[in-house]
Amino acid sequence: MGNNGANGEAEVGSDGPRQKGRATPDTLKVGCIALVLKDGQFRRAEILSIKETKSGRQFYCNFDNFNKRLDEWVPISRIDFDQDVEWPNPEKDKQKDAKSKKTAPVSKKSQPSKKAQKKVGKREQSVASEGQTPHPWTEFVESQTKPDGEDKANASLELGATPNVGPDEMELDEDETPASAAKKEHTQPFSREQEIEKLRTSGSMTQNPAEIARIRNISKVEFGRYVLFPWYFSPYPEAFSQEDCIYICEFCLSYYADLTSFKRHRMKCTLLHPPGNEIYRDDFVSFFEIDGRRQRTWCRNLCLLSKMFLDHKTLYYDVDPFLFYVMTSRDEKGSHIIGYFSKEKESADGYNVACILTLPQYQRKGYGRLLIQFSYELSKIEGKLGSPEKPLSDLGLLSYRQYWSENIIDLLLGYSEREEKCTIEGIASHLAMTTQDVEHTLQALKMQVYHKGEHKIVIPEKLVQQREKSRAKQRRVIDPSRIQWKPPVFTAASRTWGW
Amino acid sequence: MATRKVRYKKLSVKTPLAVLREDQIDPTEYESLTNEAQIATGVEQAEENEYHLQAVLQSAGVAADKEIPVPPPQESALNYDELYARPFSKTSTYIRFSQTVEESIGCMYDMTADDVVFLKSYNQKRHAGAQLSEDDFERIMDVFEATSELKAPYASIDQTIVPYDEMLQGLQELDKAKLMPHAKEIYEYWKSRRQALNNQPLHPTLKFERHLESDDADPYVCFRRREVRQTRKTRARDVQSAEKLKRLRKELEEGRQLVLAAHNREVLKAEMLKADRAIFELRAQLKEHKIRLGIKTDDEDLINQKRRKAPEAPAVQRPPAPAQLRIAVRPDGRSAEADLSLLSDRLAEKENELRADIEKKVQSHNEWNRDHLDLTRGPLSPVQWPRRSAGFRPAKTQYLITPPASVSSVSLDEPTPMELDKPHPLQSVFKFRGVARDEQSRENPPLYRRRIGRLNRLWIDRRGLASPPRDVDAEVLDRWKYDQSSDDEDDRPMYEVDPFDTNALRFRASIPLPPWMTNRGATPHARPPLPPPQQQPQPHPATQPQPQPQPQPQPQPQPQPQPQPQPQQQPQPQPQPSQIPPQAQAAA
Repeated sequence: MGNNGANGEAEVGSDGPRQKGRATPDTLKVGCIALVLKDGQFRRAEILSIKETKSGRQFYCNFDNFNKRLDEWVPISRIDFDQDVEWPNPEKDKQKDAKSKKTAPVSKKSQPSKKAQKKVGKREQSVASEGQTPHPWTEFVESQTKPDGEDKANASLELGATPNVGPDEMELDEDETPASAAKKEHTQPFSREQEIEKLRTSGSMTQNPAEIARIRNISKVEFGRYVLFPWYFSPYPEAFSQEDCIYICEFCLSYYADLTSFKRHRMKCTLLHPPGNEIYRDDFVSFFEIDGRRQRTWCRNLCLLSKMFLDHKTLYYDVDPFLFYVMTSRDEKGSHIIGYFSKEKESADGYNVACILTLPQYQRKGYGRLLIQFSYELSKIEGKLGSPEKPLSDLGLLSYRQYWSENIIDLLLGYSEREEKCTIEGIASHLAMTTQDVEHTLQALKMQVYHKGEHKIVIPEKLVQQREKSRAKQRRVIDPSRIQWKPPVFTAASRTWGW
Repeated sequence: MATRKVRYKKLSVKTPLAVLREDQIDPTEYESLTNEAQIATGVEQAEENEYHLQAVLQSAGVAADKEIPVPPPQESALNYDELYARPFSKTSTYIRFSQTVEESIGCMYDMTADDVVFLKSYNQKRHAGAQLSEDDFERIMDVFEATSELKAPYASIDQTIVPYDEMLQGLQELDKAKLMPHAKEIYEYWKSRRQALNNQPLHPTLKFERHLESDDADPYVCFRRREVRQTRKTRARDVQSAEKLKRLRKELEEGRQLVLAAHNREVLKAEMLKADRAIFELRAQLKEHKIRLGIKTDDEDLINQKRRKAPEAPAVQRPPAPAQLRIAVRPDGRSAEADLSLLSDRLAEKENELRADIEKKVQSHNEWNRDHLDLTRGPLSPVQWPRRSAGFRPAKTQYLITPPASVSSVSLDEPTPMELDKPHPLQSVFKFRGVARDEQSRENPPLYRRRIGRLNRLWIDRRGLASPPRDVDAEVLDRWKYDQSSDDEDDRPMYEVDPFDTNALRFRASIPLPPWMTNRGATPHARPPLPPPQQQPQPHPATQPQPQPQPQPQPQPQPQPQPQPQPQQQPQPQPQPSQIPPQAQAAA
């Protein structure tokens, strides 16, 4: 979305212009927005942290409109000091920080109602928000037109208001910004309590707001045959952030900062597969079901590991109320974890997945689709419609969209050949997807049309072709007949804390 | 964007939608609804605008090869095979596993590089026999860490260091002789390490909640306990809880009563033991006195003991022992030295009882099996020909009036006069003509017996029935020849046989019994090789047996055969065919 940046600098306006000016490496401080070289061009980046290394001072930069996983430490040489930097407005920033932290609970809460009234026109929405907040437009303008970096800095901490994908970006912006602005305003009186409350009542994912959590704390992980470079903060012991590299046992997922300790551990560790029951096996992968309550240590370790690659995972609460479904591949050394998804033992919102992750060394090989398919196969066995918990990450959205669209197109092609009519509900129950997800997919693919007074579904030709191509490529699927699983039943006592 | 001309109907999830391919509909005729209804992607708003995501989303349906860049993983430089040395063998079934990580690891303390240095210098001071191995070092350190965690969970805050004395308890569980000499010194090392680390655990640990104000803001604090969700208070729930409490109260009360009762029982038992002991002691005294005084006759004092035993012994042995034997035994036991009964006597008594028991069992078994003949190849009991053919009575047919032959009867396969003339004497029997064929059959009339079998089944046993072979072609006959087995009635349904045809039975009966059966001493007579082909007009045998008194004497308990003059064949002992029909009947 380039337009933010395009008109942004013109009117920095409402909250008072940011001070601009030349900086030197010594005067550049945390919170500044500077132009930093990234992938061959200078991009606006917020400095989140500064550290001294042997080779000189380094700055932790969050690049405008780039995902946090691309944040990095940059040396002085990559910062353009010929351009003005924007100085942080300390007070303002603090306030905004606090605000955006508080945003989380409310925005999340308001989401369902948003969905319910998604057909409400934009105007109505903005009117509504005007009603809630005395100065919606100052906020709106600010977030809309502020220079990108600042926008990013704030926005990155705001939890999604009305995320949507529309064909028209302008419209999309207009639609959602007032809403989020309204939220910003009216959440101000609420504070941390509300966030806690929200964490208490909702599932596993939300962002921990603290500033420190914005900075990656582990730089390198030895894991099995691979070296992984974490994407996000993970609350491993604080001492680990001093380490160049940490070591994680591939089977029990225990973490070590000391190589000697790790080697000693490896001599003692007898685990060769995830410590649970295998519930699926084919020639290619296996699935293990692990109860967070029974395997508390292992599941905590898994969460710490996955937090390094999931931005919106929270480890605020313990693993007891979750089941973990771990996908592994076998060789003569053991069952190596490829990825997993967690699932609430009892989801109030009908989610069938809480967190889902394919480890980076296995990404882009089609494993994510297997994980997603497996989660829906379990929902089918349960006789429920499922949906992943929100927010999704960018990669998560793409994976789910792909899975959804492929399956829906396959299904629709069948209907179209038989010249049958279908209902959204029918698609949903056939694929164990929620009707919202079906509608979402149909609309994202622009398949829902209005023709001669009737709603219809049109399958675009290029999607058919694309599907055929991907079908030729796609090698592996989950074979439902190999699943040996009954939905586990938990008593109320075992779902909650019993100690 | 096309402007909206008409108001759209609301799209419900239940609305049937036509599914069309793009080429089946004119693109100008429809408008896509995608602009109208905004549906959440589920991605955070702030991130939704991210450059790479938008790039991919925009290209959705155009080019699938756009990707979001991520920091790529690398191959590890560590020696994987060395680190992960354990082999894994695939199981044939799905793995079931519930060991925790801690259980799978064992000792939770892992030596650090510093420890290795320390241990090396520590061991250098010692001779080879007294050195401390790495595993043992870890074990000791593990105890220190675990005890410290237990006894001083806030050690890092209040700086308490658990003294050595308190460590001893944990150390007790280790291999004392080997490790204790080292423990004190290792403790000092452990203490110095702890102090160097500000009394933090030696292994870096996660930050858990400590219920401090700072907890919530600290991103390192993780895995908090989740409070139990309050259940809503409703009247129904109150009632439920009250019920639960009542039940609990009742069950607890029952448990209490049970304990009280058990206590009473034990008290009574103790009293009884006391009484027994008193009796015993008095008896011992009495005996001493007796011996001293030379009284030998009176054994009264021991009757009590005996009587107590008596109900026990017969309780076990009563059913088998026959009356006479018991009478013989009992006086024996009593008349012998009452309290000093000889071991040999007792053994003999026991053996007698056992023997009697066995005999009785054999008798009852025989009784039970009296009319049962096991003709299987390996009979469990020796074949005993029945001593009598119980309850068999000859049946006399009551002739029904033969309906006049009609035209249709010809077509119905009724034998016409012409047919009757044919030399097929057996045919008529088979066809239930209701006419006695000749005098011979009169002499050997069919016999029937009605009895109640197991499970109250009613059995009609037949004897002496005869039916002629049917007209069968040579092939089928051949099959009979080869397929027939002497005692396998289960085969019968395989053949197309009139269910009431005794021909098959007769044929079977004609097959000589195998020598192992006939050679048994129990049978006085060998089985004749062929049965008499009995020709007997026969009413419906199974359904309407008409037992009639017969001039022939009913063979009652005598195991003697009934010599019956047979027209064509040798005289056949009666019991044998009598054995076959019940079996055949059973199959029918």
